Amino acid sequence: MSIHYEQGLRLASRRRRTERLMLVAGLALAAWALREYRWEVVVEAAPLLLSSLWNSWILTLASVGIGLPVGIVLALCRRNGPRPVRMLAAALVEVVRATPQLMVIFWVYFAVPSLTGVRIPSWPAAILSLSIIAAAYLAEVVRGGLNAVPAVLIESAWATGLSRFQVFMHVVIPQALRVMIPSLISHIVMMFKITSLIYIVGITDFFRAIVLINNRVFEPVPLYVTMAAGYFLCCYAFSRLLRRFDQAPQLPSS
Amino acid sequence: MHWAVLSDYWPAILHGLSVTIQITIVAALGALCIGVLIGCLHQTRSYALRRVIDAYVELIRNVPAIVKVFFLYFVLGWEGMESAIVGLAIHQSAYICDAVDAGFRSIPKEQSEAAWALGHSRSEVFIHVLLPQTWAVSMPSITNQLIEVLKNSSIVMLIGVQELTFQAQQIESDTFRGFEAATAVTAIYVTLAFGIAWLAHRFEQRMSRSK
Repeated sequence: MSIHYEQGLRLASRRRRTERLMLVAGLALAAWALREYRWEVVVEAAPLLLSSLWNSWILTLASVGIGLPVGIVLALCRRNGPRPVRMLAAALVEVVRATPQLMVIFWVYFAVPSLTGVRIPSWPAAILSLSIIAAAYLAEVVRGGLNAVPAVLIESAWATGLSRFQVFMHVVIPQALRVMIPSLISHIVMMFKITSLIYIVGITDFFRAIVLINNRVFEPVPLYVTMAAGYFLCCYAFSRLLRRFDQAPQLPSS
Repeated sequence: MHWAVLSDYWPAILHGLSVTIQITIVAALGALCIGVLIGCLHQTRSYALRRVIDAYVELIRNVPAIVKVFFLYFVLGWEGMESAIVGLAIHQSAYICDAVDAGFRSIPKEQSEAAWALGHSRSEVFIHVLLPQTWAVSMPSITNQLIEVLKNSSIVMLIGVQELTFQAQQIESDTFRGFEAATAVTAIYVTLAFGIAWLAHRFEQRMSRSK
């Protein structure tokens, strides 16, 4: 007992030492980078960078806000719809998921306008294409969650006399939600990363802002490191924040 | 609609297709090597190594692929094809590492403990007990990542690599026939993606039958 305890203590102190070493190495690297490169360009461009980061967030939230309801509808169609509806929903979701995301943006911004002759302005085009992507991916997330609810539970709920709607609201949704949340989070983070592709329609999102500033001042190292750091911090913070809700939806106990 | 434009640009589309396939195959192999290697290294006892791999995976997963490709192309000044392949390989390696790691975690700890108790060394347990089972668990998510490589390969048009999406945009800007070009190119992508998925499915079936 006490041998294990002491071993554990030794292990813990060795781990702390490793962590401290890694921290020191990181700080040394940062100090070197600070001396080596002109970071003023980042500071000077800070207002533009922040507003462009805000644009990226707006695109993410708008596309998830539109894509999630559409995705839920698609998932329900694919699960419970009549046969033609089911097949149509499945085909839509699978084709969008098999198409590169850049190609979806290309469709909305270049291909469809070239057929109809009506050019869509860049903001609506960006939100529309990102929403299509979000809807297709989130539909699969929702479907996975719904499929995780055992059929026996649903059948026994029907047997107790609950209506289909009641079963869906009180039996299926609470359990599906729990299963869905981790992959929902990772897909929202994925959407934030995909906003960088909106570059091609000419909206100044975080990615485009960095590229534009770099074209003017040509200081690639600090700017691209800032870009990576910006995306990393947003995605990491966001997934950490959302993961706190992971345990949130508790089933009512009685 | 004016489908004849496609027959004029057929060589360009074929060239784009071959570039896309080259990038996909090489990047997928690279991602597979790095991902499986660091996924296995993540199982070692060395705490420092595990934390370094954790940091690598978190860093790569939380930064868009295009940022890596641009970094290699503009900051390190590599060639277009090189930065495309290496960028995509690095990007997907983190996801493959995660899939491999999940495979190892799915095996109950009692199995390795039992094998250790029988006197097998750590490496023997790793090779003969853990690895064969991990393979079966991680396989579906790894093949998904290979499809992701194909899809992500379209972003390298932004650094001017002339792959499929690039050709689609080229046709659009030359002839304003974006719809026809997009249809052809999307059809090719969807066919390739479904093809990979189908092959992977066949492969998995054969693997499970041979057991």
